[in-house]
Amino acid sequence: MPPSNSLPPKENALFKRILRCYEHKQYKNGLKFAKQILSNPKFSEHGETLAMKGLTLNCLGRKDEAYEYVRRGLRNDLKSPVCWHVYGLLQRSDKKYDEAIKCYRNALKWEKENIQILRDLSLLQIQMRDLEGYKDTRYQLFMLRPTQRASWIGFAMSYHLLGDFEMANSILDAFRTNQMKGPYDYEHSELLLYQNMVLAESGQYERALHHLQKFQSQILDKLSIKETSGEYYLKLKRYKEGETVYEDLLKRNPENVMYYQKLVEAKQLRDPDSIVAFYEVYKKEYPRAIAPRRLQLTEARMPCFEQLVDEYLRHGLHKGIPPLFVDMRSLYVDESKAETIEKLILQYMENLSNFGTFSSEPDEEKQPASALLWAYYFAAQHFDYKEDTDRALHYIEAAIEHTPTLIELFIVKGRIYKHAGDPVSAYKWLEEAQAMDTADRYVNSKCARYMLRAGHVKQAEEMCSKFTREGVPATENLNEMQCMWFQTEAAAAYQRSQQWGEALKKAHEVDRHFSEIMEDQFDFHSYCMRKMTLRSYVGLLRLEDVLRSHPFYFRCARVAIQVYLRLYAHPLQDVPQTTEPDTGQ
Amino acid sequence: MNIRCARPSDLMNMQHCNLLCLPENYQMKYYFYHGLSWPQLSYVAEDEKGHIVGYVLAKMEDDGEDNRHGHITSLAVKRSHRRLGLAQKLMNQASLAMVECFQAKYVSLHVRKSNRAALNLYTNSLGFKILEIEPKYYADGEDAYSMMRDLSAFAADNKFETPSDNLEIKSESAIVSQC
Repeated sequence: MPPSNSLPPKENALFKRILRCYEHKQYKNGLKFAKQILSNPKFSEHGETLAMKGLTLNCLGRKDEAYEYVRRGLRNDLKSPVCWHVYGLLQRSDKKYDEAIKCYRNALKWEKENIQILRDLSLLQIQMRDLEGYKDTRYQLFMLRPTQRASWIGFAMSYHLLGDFEMANSILDAFRTNQMKGPYDYEHSELLLYQNMVLAESGQYERALHHLQKFQSQILDKLSIKETSGEYYLKLKRYKEGETVYEDLLKRNPENVMYYQKLVEAKQLRDPDSIVAFYEVYKKEYPRAIAPRRLQLTEARMPCFEQLVDEYLRHGLHKGIPPLFVDMRSLYVDESKAETIEKLILQYMENLSNFGTFSSEPDEEKQPASALLWAYYFAAQHFDYKEDTDRALHYIEAAIEHTPTLIELFIVKGRIYKHAGDPVSAYKWLEEAQAMDTADRYVNSKCARYMLRAGHVKQAEEMCSKFTREGVPATENLNEMQCMWFQTEAAAAYQRSQQWGEALKKAHEVDRHFSEIMEDQFDFHSYCMRKMTLRSYVGLLRLEDVLRSHPFYFRCARVAIQVYLRLYAHPLQDVPQTTEPDTGQ
Repeated sequence: MNIRCARPSDLMNMQHCNLLCLPENYQMKYYFYHGLSWPQLSYVAEDEKGHIVGYVLAKMEDDGEDNRHGHITSLAVKRSHRRLGLAQKLMNQASLAMVECFQAKYVSLHVRKSNRAALNLYTNSLGFKILEIEPKYYADGEDAYSMMRDLSAFAADNKFETPSDNLEIKSESAIVSQC
């Protein structure tokens, strides 16, 4: 039977209404109109109507029927771009992107200049990182719709992603001069910064700097101007100018570590003493900032280090800053620094308990009682770090005796046991801590993690349930919220207890989160072109390119691989047959 | 500790920090939405290993030209990194960006009525005022204080000097909150 691919006016009007219903998500109505066409025996095999009926059914969750109708429609009208497009959309909704791309290409064979299909194709191509294909499609869209902003942006971006910076830049230049006539707004500002990014990535820092300076007044994101121009000055070895920029940046944010490092580079400071002196200046300039004081400790060497760290520790213990040890820990790679810190902290504890002062000098101001507590707390973590469990426990006990109500102490006590290889005692101390402040999710999470390390998965789930939505099982809510730390730890816990199936289940849940996060990109392909946040968009693409290198993925993949290897080497025994006769149930 | 503007590659780790610390959680796509709509507004605090120990996730709300204002979607600092003033520093950086890039007049947020520590930070250290109570704002039925902070001080000429007097941390209280 030859397909009748054109409908008479009345049916054609109905068909148009199906399309409209689909766009407005009025699927029930869409089906009604489809039925009106298809119930006429003359059109009961009308390809495009069948296809649209299928697409509509898909939106109602009737996937099997959807495929059936769409395929039947297509068979009846293989030359219809609509049928191919619809088949593509169906595959796309099923995440079969490669198949969808093929369908769109077929559709375009019969209708080369269909904007909608070209757009849909370009989205799939960028999603699949078919960058050459993307470039071709964006070129066609550009030629067909040269007056649209997105045509230019997509066209330029396709070259950028292929590393053809010159071409990308020329397109952006042409676009700017032809189209943008002010007022200069956020989107314009973002576009300029994107163009600047393209120039920088081409390695032409001189040109990029010039571009940035030229358009400075039209860019709202002052921070980006400063950060990127500082970068360029350093790359171009224009150190004096770079210095000024980083001085400015520090005024804005004196807690940014990179600014200090770049400033050291700009000032061409190399020997440690001059860097120590450098930080001295900024300690005075920004007395409330932590970064310059802390960075100075990293640079300082004996004997200067001792005096500086003494000051730093006293300040922290006096104020009672709980993260003091965590903050110092990275200094311990230098053994002499670790020894100095140990010497000082032992002195403090001795003097504080005898005289209430850090030193034994008689005229020193008395410290608050809490200073000794924080010194014990520091010492416990210090010796724990050195794997000296006995001394670590000794000091944490002293701290708890001093102040039995401080949650942090119990967390550290648990950690000491964990490091000592006793996960059961470890989690019991975390439970203690958790009971002291049930409203704090951080302690709750820590406690659950420790329970998992001890192999108590069910208990951990119960612990987590105090912060998950009521009415659904905790694991379900944690999965919905993509709580990967929990699932990763649970997978490992199941693996340790040889519950292979459960371990794999958790590992695959994490894998699904990663697939979902890959999917998340999709909507941003068109969204960011409207918003003009193109720098961040490129950042997203690059993140997604290496998404599965994230530690969460790595750890889960390792569990899964180990379990699969184990199951391969030692296949599970068949479930023993029941001896009772099969009743056919 | 290092405080800097968040990049797309930080967003997953911000989600992780959020899940550890706060009862209100979001799927990754919501973080992407923030990072790709208002890339200048979210900040992170990271330790030396590059692990995120605190963040502020922020956005703009555009109800009309004269009412442009920022909104804090979520602010968290790990309990293990409190009393370093991180929350305050994160908030100030985000607020400055709201003014510079989006001409925000003020910034708003929600806080649980029971979260005294956070309330203390917002009122005493950051100059927020309680606007109203939003009954049953949270999924578990708890009320929220709707709060705002005027940002005109940030718009003043000398933009970089954050008005330090009223910004100094006066309370030693713990600071982690959901907004």
